[in-house]
Amino acid sequence: MNESRHIVEVSDLTSGYEDIRVLDNVSIHAPSNQITIILGSSGCGKTTLLKHLIRLLQPWSGSIRLFGQEITELDEPEFNTILRKIGVMFQNGALLGSMSVAENVSIPLEQHTDLNDEIIRKLVEIKLDLVELGHAIDRYPSELSGGMRKRAALARAIALDPPLLFGDEPSAGLDPVTSAGLDELILKMRDQLGMTVVLVSHEVASIKRIADHVIFLDRGKVLFCGPLKEARSAGIQKVDDFFSKG
Amino acid sequence: MKETQITWTGMDLAIEGELTIPMVSLVLKQAGQLLELHAQPDLSVDLSRVEKIDTAGVVLLETLKNSAAAKNIRLHWTRIPAFVDQAMTTFSGKKDSKGTPGPPREASVLARMGNFAYDVGHHLHDLFYLIADTFYYSVQNLTKRHGQRKGEFTNQLVLIGMNAFPIVGLVSFLIGLILALQSAAQLRQFGAAIYVADLIAISMTREMGPIMTAIMLAGRSGSAITSEIATMVVTEETDALKSMALNPVQYVLVPKFYAMTVAMPLLTILSVIIGILGAFVIGLTYLEIGLEPFYNQVVSALFLKDIITGLVKSVVFAWLIVILGAYHGFRVRGGAAEVGKATTASVVSSIFAVIFADSILGLIFYLGQTIDI
Repeated sequence: MNESRHIVEVSDLTSGYEDIRVLDNVSIHAPSNQITIILGSSGCGKTTLLKHLIRLLQPWSGSIRLFGQEITELDEPEFNTILRKIGVMFQNGALLGSMSVAENVSIPLEQHTDLNDEIIRKLVEIKLDLVELGHAIDRYPSELSGGMRKRAALARAIALDPPLLFGDEPSAGLDPVTSAGLDELILKMRDQLGMTVVLVSHEVASIKRIADHVIFLDRGKVLFCGPLKEARSAGIQKVDDFFSKG
Repeated sequence: MKETQITWTGMDLAIEGELTIPMVSLVLKQAGQLLELHAQPDLSVDLSRVEKIDTAGVVLLETLKNSAAAKNIRLHWTRIPAFVDQAMTTFSGKKDSKGTPGPPREASVLARMGNFAYDVGHHLHDLFYLIADTFYYSVQNLTKRHGQRKGEFTNQLVLIGMNAFPIVGLVSFLIGLILALQSAAQLRQFGAAIYVADLIAISMTREMGPIMTAIMLAGRSGSAITSEIATMVVTEETDALKSMALNPVQYVLVPKFYAMTVAMPLLTILSVIIGILGAFVIGLTYLEIGLEPFYNQVVSALFLKDIITGLVKSVVFAWLIVILGAYHGFRVRGGAAEVGKATTASVVSSIFAVIFADSILGLIFYLGQTIDI
């Protein structure tokens, strides 16, 4: 396997909260230009793993490489350079409540580019149209439904057309139609913009629709890391149960 | 609903009726009385006439068994209907309780002292980091555009400064008025009523103006800063900022820090002026002192040192309120209830810190004055 093809590489990652071990020697990778889904039952450490990938948590031990760089060793300005190539979509959107949807989406553009206000506004409109939120551009997060918030969060995450997109349960709690629409959008990101996407999910229907590569976690350990097709024929009981009962 | 009954059937007991939430207390009472009278080590309970059972009913059966065991009686369930058996299997809770840790052992005095020292050290460490970050980014933001939200300083200045003016003004007016009224009654006895102006001018400028403004802003803006930041932490907004390569201290806190640093001295000046105006109302109506003598007395009583003392205090208070407000906001973990607790803690600690700092500063300025002399 050619390692340079992997934008995300984690080796022997062990971490937890206080003295509770959540991730135990996790080694995974996410191939470039593919959609990787981190899946597993609730509480298995999916979100914790994702938080490590954007350095919101510090590991007890192990290595995390993004774009070939060891992020646990980078100082803040160096890591910020990496973060500018990453879009992150949080579970509940995490939109800034004091700002309108347009202002939220424009944050990365205002902060990390020298574009003028007119161009920024146009880019914001394009991103919001892409997630079908053009009509809600000046609304505040409190005036949006859960699904709309997630789509606005996706628009903000892709504002800079990052080569790497992380998402925490993008389809959770959405109706099947909205969920399928969001999946199509993520597929478009991969196909048209060449984005590498790493999502946390346990929505089997969504996983079957979009995943190229899956990482199956169980109680903080990796049960499987590889292409979706192989996961379903690997003969791992828990993985089989997950797909058959989901 | 028919009441559930426990009756003797020969040497055995039988439960008849429903084992549901409304019947639990009644059955426990009856069973308690019956068990008191029983002297044999074994007792069978016929459950065949149980009509319905819920989770409380299952817990009731377990409780009965345990209380009988405490009296050295072994209870045996007999003729258990299938639905009761199924409920007992499903809701027994024994599966889960296996791994449940027992009550925590009480820590020794030494361990508690150690934990306390560790917590204090941890809090101080976080607080000093926050102070360092705040000052670092507040200097950096003066020259760098990156990491700031456009128009946020003005927005915060309006929220913290302008919107607080009516309440600060009203309180200061009343404080000046009351102080003048109380002191006038005493000074009048010595024919020194005119010195009310001196007294109020100095006390408002050096003490009451800065401290009353700070207490108002701690309650009004300090709490708002804490609840805003705490809500952002709880809803992952601060994480979202970090993921966009933005520092939450720089992006969220620094504009508030600037606004508070500017607004507090301005509000303090206004508070002093309005407080003196309140005193003038008493001077005019109660002591019959005209505007000109009152004004002359105020001007002659105040020195630049008094004004600087008040302004230095107001800036220190501003920093204490904004940093303690942010500190309590950033360290919130959990949900909405924690936001409320953090807000209360922020207001209490800010007011305490303001009064404590006032004593220290008062002492420093007093000693400085003494050395000058």
